[in-house]
Amino acid sequence: MSDQQTPNTVTFTLDGQEVTVPKGTTILRAAESIGIKIPHYCFHPGLSSPAMCRLCLVEVEGWPRMAPSCKETAQDGMVVFTNSELAQKQRTGVLEFYLVNHPLDCPICDQSGECDLQDYVFEEGREHGRGREPKRVLGRDDFGGDVLFNGDRCVMCTRCVRFMREVAEDERLCVVERGNRAVIDTFFEEGLEGSPYAGNIIDICPVGALISKDFLHKARAWDLDRTPSVCPSCSQGCNITLQVRDDLVQRLKPRENLEVNGWWMCDFGRHNYEWMNRTDRTEVPMVRGQEVGWADALGDLLQALKDAKESVKAVTWAHAPNEEMGLLSGLLAELGGGEVVYRSPRTEGEVPLPGFPLLARREDLAPNVNGAEIFGFRRVGDNNSQGGLDELAGHDGVLIVVGDPIEDYGEDFGSKAELYVYLGSYQSKTASNAHFVLPITTFAEQEGTYTNVQGRVQRFWPGVRSPASARPGWLILGALVAELTGTEAPVSADQAFAKIAEKTSEFGGITYRDLGPRGAVAGKPAGVSGD
Amino acid sequence: MPPTVKVMRRPEGVRTSFLRATLKGMALTFKHMVNPNKITVQYPEERMEITPRWRGTHRMETHADGRPKCVACGLCPTVCPSNCIRLVGGEDDQGNRYPIVYEIDEFRCIFCGMCQEVCPVEAIHVGVHYENAEYTRDRFVYDLDRLMEQDHPTSLLWDPSDPKSE
Ligand code: SF4
Ligand code: SF4
Ligand code: SF4
Ligand code: SF4
Ligand code: FES
Repeated sequence: MSDQQTPNTVTFTLDGQEVTVPKGTTILRAAESIGIKIPHYCFHPGLSSPAMCRLCLVEVEGWPRMAPSCKETAQDGMVVFTNSELAQKQRTGVLEFYLVNHPLDCPICDQSGECDLQDYVFEEGREHGRGREPKRVLGRDDFGGDVLFNGDRCVMCTRCVRFMREVAEDERLCVVERGNRAVIDTFFEEGLEGSPYAGNIIDICPVGALISKDFLHKARAWDLDRTPSVCPSCSQGCNITLQVRDDLVQRLKPRENLEVNGWWMCDFGRHNYEWMNRTDRTEVPMVRGQEVGWADALGDLLQALKDAKESVKAVTWAHAPNEEMGLLSGLLAELGGGEVVYRSPRTEGEVPLPGFPLLARREDLAPNVNGAEIFGFRRVGDNNSQGGLDELAGHDGVLIVVGDPIEDYGEDFGSKAELYVYLGSYQSKTASNAHFVLPITTFAEQEGTYTNVQGRVQRFWPGVRSPASARPGWLILGALVAELTGTEAPVSADQAFAKIAEKTSEFGGITYRDLGPRGAVAGKPAGVSGD
Repeated sequence: MPPTVKVMRRPEGVRTSFLRATLKGMALTFKHMVNPNKITVQYPEERMEITPRWRGTHRMETHADGRPKCVACGLCPTVCPSNCIRLVGGEDDQGNRYPIVYEIDEFRCIFCGMCQEVCPVEAIHVGVHYENAEYTRDRFVYDLDRLMEQDHPTSLLWDPSDPKSE
């Protein structure tokens, strides 16, 4: 390895392995890069390191005392032991101190199952406590917003304080008192209320000291199925995980992507998930009011589309994935052209995260506005995603609705249409005139991609089972396009994406494989992504 | 066609007595009448004694004020090998975590006792009890009230003098 050495790297020995890392890398990060985890609390990759939790200390040969690996950078020729007898003894000792006042209330703590204190003590802590003194009891404090504080569980890592200071740049938390009596508290009466990114401190708190009111007692960490996804609440497209139990989304958590959202997400996006659990769903294909099988429905629809004489108009929304939009535009091209309009909610002003300039809650409150623009769809409607469809409502040709439940129009929507096709996930009164009602899956139930505000195409995965026989929109539209053009129908989301990438120069050359879990910027060669 | 019966005739000229066999049978009966080692238990007047480690239908322990001891930690539904515990946790007005719904399907339960073993607050227990008859099947899904009402002794699970079964 040493022959690769350049002036910008250092080579040192870590637990008997030789490691080469860029100059300035801390021992902790170097260890992580080769899969050695050093227990730590105060260090977080997105924050400064105060080296105050003393859990990450490692033994360095020839050094008089142990070094905090979160702060100490690797030096050439250093010999580091993360797991020597001394290092283990040190951690066991530190952990014992952490438990001096800790209530050990894992059974009622929401962090249980994903708690660093629980894990570390289980691995290296003492089997029995030796404390004889009564424990300090602080009880629970409402920090405002979604945050509940359990002072007894705090390990005083100050990640929360540093997040508010360095990343949110909205200093509202501080350490009050010193030493044994130190406790985290808010400055003002309103606490964290109104701070748009405060929810992140719940994620970075390594223990159950900061917990979410919204998630309180809802599910145990080990009961949740986690699926990588993309936040659908604005065009930033933060990388998230859907955390699902019993096919209901229970909470959203950010997923690391240094090119988009770092480790963070906004509270608006975090809490905007209830609609994913909506139950008023379309479930089976209906043709002129009759329930039919998919084969019949698609056969009839194809015939009806071929027979239709009048012009085609289509409407979709900025929640539709690229695949759905691309194939919708492909379908319209096959039907002799026609305009697609879309609607998307919008608000005034971005909400930036000062300490991570790439991230801001954007003005467009839907994930795929950029996708719709790439496909040349025309935006209509107002900032609440209402109105703008008067022309379509009375259209007498072929009317295709994809995704948008159009809840702001009445039952006569599409009553004049020669052929009205409604591909939607939700029941809607505007679908009552539809000749074809085809149930499609929501973004949480299917695979697909969104194009965010930076032009980055990002994949999401299915985390929830779809009701009854709903199908992804791209599967339906892809089958129709394939029948009309005599080509092979896409049977997976990556085939659907490949189909649209052929036709769309912006997506040229990208495949699902290139996108990986963190996406790639459309129009740029793959591999520019953050990982 | 009706079934036909073949009649076996007693062989001519052979005489048979049933007296000896009858006396033999009666002797056995009388012997058992006076046998001191009685096996039959006169249930329900008499009941068999069962071992303290018996694992029967569950019981939820309660606090003095009648609240269930369970804190809805979710460990018993997690450990249960037959997946027969349903739990929905919540918070009561004093801020205590408690089970809003706690149900055990006693028909699916295999009485392994792991729920009792795993419970951090000694709330759920298997019981030393075997009289569970009901008129309908659905009565075997015991809800929280039912589990708290049960008052039979709870199982020891292991022998206190030899807790590790060595
Ligand atoms: S509340 Fe959590 S994040 Fe904040 S100092 Fe305590 S343990 Fe650390
Ligand atoms: S900034 Fe946008 S994408 Fe990110 S979490 Fe908020 S709403 Fe979602
Ligand atoms: S005894 Fe075993 S099977 Fe029955 S409820 Fe308890 S853990 Fe489940
Ligand atoms: S293990 Fe005990 S405290 Fe936890 S849910 Fe079961 S009965 Fe309740
Ligand atoms: S992580 Fe190094 S001292 Fe806390």
